[in-house]
Amino acid sequence: MASASGVSMSLSSITCSFKKNQVPISSLKSVSMPIKGKSFQSLRLRTGPSRLRVSCAAKPETVNKVCDIVRKQLALPADSEVTGESKFATLGADSLDTVEIVMGLEEEFGISVEEESAQGIATVQDAADLIEQLISNK
Amino acid sequence: MASFTMKIHCFQRNFSFSSSALVPVQLPSRMETHFWYILPDEVKSATLLNQYLDILSPCEKENVLRMHGDNLKKSALLARALVRTTIARYQINSQVSPTSLKFRKNIYGKPEVDWQNHYDRNPPPLHFNISHTSSLIACGVTLDSPIGIDVEEKQRTTKNNILSFARRYFSPHEVESLSIISDPEIQRLEFLKLWTLKEAYVKALGRGFSAAPFKNFTIRFRAATKGHLHLSGNSNSKASEIIVESSDDPKTLTSNWQFALLELTGSHYAAICKEKDDDTVEGKGSVPMKLTVRKTIPFVEDQCISGKDALVLVGGL
Repeated sequence: MASASGVSMSLSSITCSFKKNQVPISSLKSVSMPIKGKSFQSLRLRTGPSRLRVSCAAKPETVNKVCDIVRKQLALPADSEVTGESKFATLGADSLDTVEIVMGLEEEFGISVEEESAQGIATVQDAADLIEQLISNK
Repeated sequence: MASFTMKIHCFQRNFSFSSSALVPVQLPSRMETHFWYILPDEVKSATLLNQYLDILSPCEKENVLRMHGDNLKKSALLARALVRTTIARYQINSQVSPTSLKFRKNIYGKPEVDWQNHYDRNPPPLHFNISHTSSLIACGVTLDSPIGIDVEEKQRTTKNNILSFARRYFSPHEVESLSIISDPEIQRLEFLKLWTLKEAYVKALGRGFSAAPFKNFTIRFRAATKGHLHLSGNSNSKASEIIVESSDDPKTLTSNWQFALLELTGSHYAAICKEKDDDTVEGKGSVPMKLTVRKTIPFVEDQCISGKDALVLVGGL
């Protein structure tokens, strides 16, 4: 996945991975990903007026798997609208649901999610991005 | 409920309802905790729901309407209405109304009142915390001490196996205390009690979940016999108290937090965690939490709850 072209990562997952290194986004001139052994072959950097934006999106399959796990946990009908942009809170997930969803994601993808990272997950997309980041770290 | 959104938009203000004033209430003392709750099923009037919608900020209204489905919209609406009306009752200042209240989040994201221009200086140190399930929404209020609450339906089941879940998220002591329970139903109920208490503690700390990972602290019940550290493990004993211990240093009791666990209307568990008042004697015997429980339908009625409708399971009055 790491070598896929057109990699775009949402800002929230960048913030999650940089928190540990305490690198303020605004001071980034070149992005060196703290991901072991992988290098992004093509990374689009778009500098906006006041901040650096790096965009990178998880594979659709990952997003769909997350949607399925969320639907199952919240007992939502199969046709209910759940997309990458869906926020867990607006779908009706409370804290116990969220923790169960994270546990479901850990089992499905064989990853381990720390509390710090889990706290940053607000949408399905956030979860999918984090999953792919953790998978590529393995 | 399918017409919930429709009614909101079609509602015509043909005549004015005398907006019955909120019954004012005295501020809690430093020793007290006020616990207010709404049962969404008891609120059916579209007129009333519109009244609640009217007191929300534009941002809150947007958030309510963004929720998926009528039931979620309703509980989101009632949660905000409960917070605003509850705090406004304390009549701290005649300029404070449910609509005029402003809120902000602390640096960790915990919501608090932003007294702004209601006060030049020394705003009342009122703390609050909310929690909701689809069938009950609650708000806890204290004076001068951080508070966290969590409510859960007793019927709540987990998708994951309880012990698997506990092994992943709870402390070893807690897993142990759950695994010795042979009846799955009792095990599930004990799990829910632990969950709500752990949630309430982390919310009281107010520093986000990563600041107090669930694995790193243990909640347990002990008999509140003076001077006797006897782990009874029986959470139904009214004589027991709830304590929290840090895994980093098990010998240190995090004794500045007090807990109460309630069973409401036979259907919900409510956990309350509050920082002890400085003047309270620390560590020597349990300090009962002075609790006032009220069921409310803001603008309509308030009911003081005691006895069988709000059974205090642990952490007596």
